[in-house]
Amino acid sequence: MAVVSIPGGGEVDQLYAETRALRLQGFLLFLVSDIVLFSSFIFAYLYLRNSGQGWPPPGVTRPAIALGAVNAAILFGSGATMHYALENFKHGKFMRYAAFMISTIILGVLFLSGQGFEYYTLYVHDHVSWSGSGIFGASFFTLTGMHGFHVFCGIWYLTILLLQSVHGVYDKNKYFGLTAGTLYWHFVDVIWVVLFSIFYLV
Amino acid sequence: MSVIAEHGGLAEHIHPEPQGFIRKYIFSLDHKIIGIQYIITAFVFFVLAGCLAEIIRIQLMHANGGFITPDTYDEVYSIHGSAMVWLVIIPMLTGGFGNLVMPVQIGARDVAFPWLNMISFWIFPVSGLMLFSSFLMGAPVAGWTEYPPMSLQGAAGTSMWCAAIFLVGVSSTLTGINFLVTMLKMRAPGMTYTRMPLFCWGQFATAPLLMIATTALAAALAALFMERQFGVPFYDPTKGGSPVLWQHMFWFYSHPAVYIMILPAFGIMSEVISVFSRKPIFGYRLIAFSSAAIALAGFMVWAHHMFTSGIAPYMQLPFMVITFIIAVPTGVKIFSWIATLWEGKIHLTSSMLFALGFLVLFTFGGISGVFLAAIPFDLHVHGTYFIPAHLHFVLVGGSLMGIFSGIYYWFPKMTGRYMSEFWGRVHFVLFMIGFLGTFLPMHWLGAEGMPRRVATYDPQFQGVNQFESIFSFIMTLAILIFFINALYSIRNGKKAGHNPWGARTLEWQIPSPMPYYNFKHIPSVFGLPYDFTEPLPYAHLEEELTDSPVPVGSH
Repeated sequence: MAVVSIPGGGEVDQLYAETRALRLQGFLLFLVSDIVLFSSFIFAYLYLRNSGQGWPPPGVTRPAIALGAVNAAILFGSGATMHYALENFKHGKFMRYAAFMISTIILGVLFLSGQGFEYYTLYVHDHVSWSGSGIFGASFFTLTGMHGFHVFCGIWYLTILLLQSVHGVYDKNKYFGLTAGTLYWHFVDVIWVVLFSIFYLV
Repeated sequence: MSVIAEHGGLAEHIHPEPQGFIRKYIFSLDHKIIGIQYIITAFVFFVLAGCLAEIIRIQLMHANGGFITPDTYDEVYSIHGSAMVWLVIIPMLTGGFGNLVMPVQIGARDVAFPWLNMISFWIFPVSGLMLFSSFLMGAPVAGWTEYPPMSLQGAAGTSMWCAAIFLVGVSSTLTGINFLVTMLKMRAPGMTYTRMPLFCWGQFATAPLLMIATTALAAALAALFMERQFGVPFYDPTKGGSPVLWQHMFWFYSHPAVYIMILPAFGIMSEVISVFSRKPIFGYRLIAFSSAAIALAGFMVWAHHMFTSGIAPYMQLPFMVITFIIAVPTGVKIFSWIATLWEGKIHLTSSMLFALGFLVLFTFGGISGVFLAAIPFDLHVHGTYFIPAHLHFVLVGGSLMGIFSGIYYWFPKMTGRYMSEFWGRVHFVLFMIGFLGTFLPMHWLGAEGMPRRVATYDPQFQGVNQFESIFSFIMTLAILIFFINALYSIRNGKKAGHNPWGARTLEWQIPSPMPYYNFKHIPSVFGLPYDFTEPLPYAHLEEELTDSPVPVGSH
């Protein structure tokens, strides 16, 4: 069986190396198409925001920047823990990997709770809703909700990856599933950078 | 450089042949079976949408209509357009021919993700049934473009329409990802980008469009669905939304979709014209790179559909100019094909006849497209029958002629038998007569100002409309002949060898129908497949047509 060396010094068989290359490319292209999905909604947001009604439209309260910033910090922190999880796995430090993975999942849940609290505040106290607050409600809840759904899926995704790695599906040379999970989580992070900027900062 | 090595890995990884009818023909992972499934399913939807077209033509036989009510008429043309675009032409050309031929032409055993491929396919008939089921709850009435605010007021079927198109878009996106990875990573050793057959170049330019543009449409559809079902204001101007936003988002997809519908047909043309002229394709690189240029520029022209929609004048001019420019790479292809025919040894098979018909009709439709790109002209004919005339010339005269040409060309590869050449010629002649009689007069009707999408019309146009309807029946007859010919030939056609046309691309070097593993040994490639006087540019193909055992699981 032909053997291929991989970055980091390990060796895998030719079939795994080729399959991994295919999956990596396919996963990256999936992320590209997901970026297009977000971009289209961001385009819709920019288009509506600049349609001359003022921003936010009269009578609509914007979400508090402080809560948004805390939430952003939580999500970016989870990006860092995810990075260290993968690095530790590559070097065979399984317990550290598991600890970082669990903290990533917990931070993800915290982020979603923060977002839930924010929705609750907006809806109950400020009477801003998805369908009743004009273009602000439409674009804010749709875009952040879509992102929240991605985080939600990501939490399940990482949980499954963690369970798989506990059952020994991955080893220190063959861990493409974890690479894909990391890419996905970083992708969700980067989307939030954009959403945070357009909804809270400008 | 492709990642597929000559030894070890995917090149030598042959799965055992699937056993049992269901694994083999229903939930198949084999790209060739999936391709045929796509083609058959798309033809079923083609018949349904074609019946809708005939209902339209019967209604228009009389200036006051009377065959169906105006509301039903709106539903009929909306579903006719949606089904023909999303359920017939796009799946047939990408999922159908792309799956059937592309992996073999680049020397791979399958697409990159066979499971994903199967899922892509099975989403497609489900979404098709959803689309047609919208008739049960009041189908959409705003045409295949579903502009708000009319689509916001449509019956419940409009939401079903959104969901159906969204789903078929998911199928397209997954196919695009799958094909792109296949072509980027799984080419046989020596199959460089500039040695890929031009059909693959057509698919290679289409795949990113499928992947990117379709996702943009998904966003537009999701927003329309949310607005209709939950009252989220994106498009309703009374709540602060903007109907023009839908037009931007829709055409940002649907203009590239025009190229999704034509680039693979261009690929079929390049193969067929070269093979039946027995000449190297003229300007291989020009044709290949012009596909890429069209795909890229296709993203920059969408607002030419919106000259009458109140977009800013400073935006109109660049869109007009880029639209003119995008005609240049298309013209490059047309001239390359004509130059290929020049002094070639032309074989007038059915496939070649449809290719020549394509050249005439598509050029005609392309030129009327350049007319429409000119803002003053567009303002005059927007919303008239000039638009259906133009789009049927490019989609029927272009894409559908390409599909017919491809079916006649690859039928022996799918089944091992020829289709009847005589009935193929009858099909061609009747189809051309019917097509020209139906759609050519529409240009005049449009220039005279007959509005499209209206169930009744000014009595002065009645004669021309009756003329068109009669010719549309001839077109239907031609298609009926085609179906009978195809169905009959599956069992009873004349047997064809592995390479009946003397073609040189890889799929013709293996037995017909193609074995599930494609190649016993992955070939090496050292040249273009179009030099008809040279020996074949492949190595390691000696055993493909012999009885030597299949090296199953030999990795």
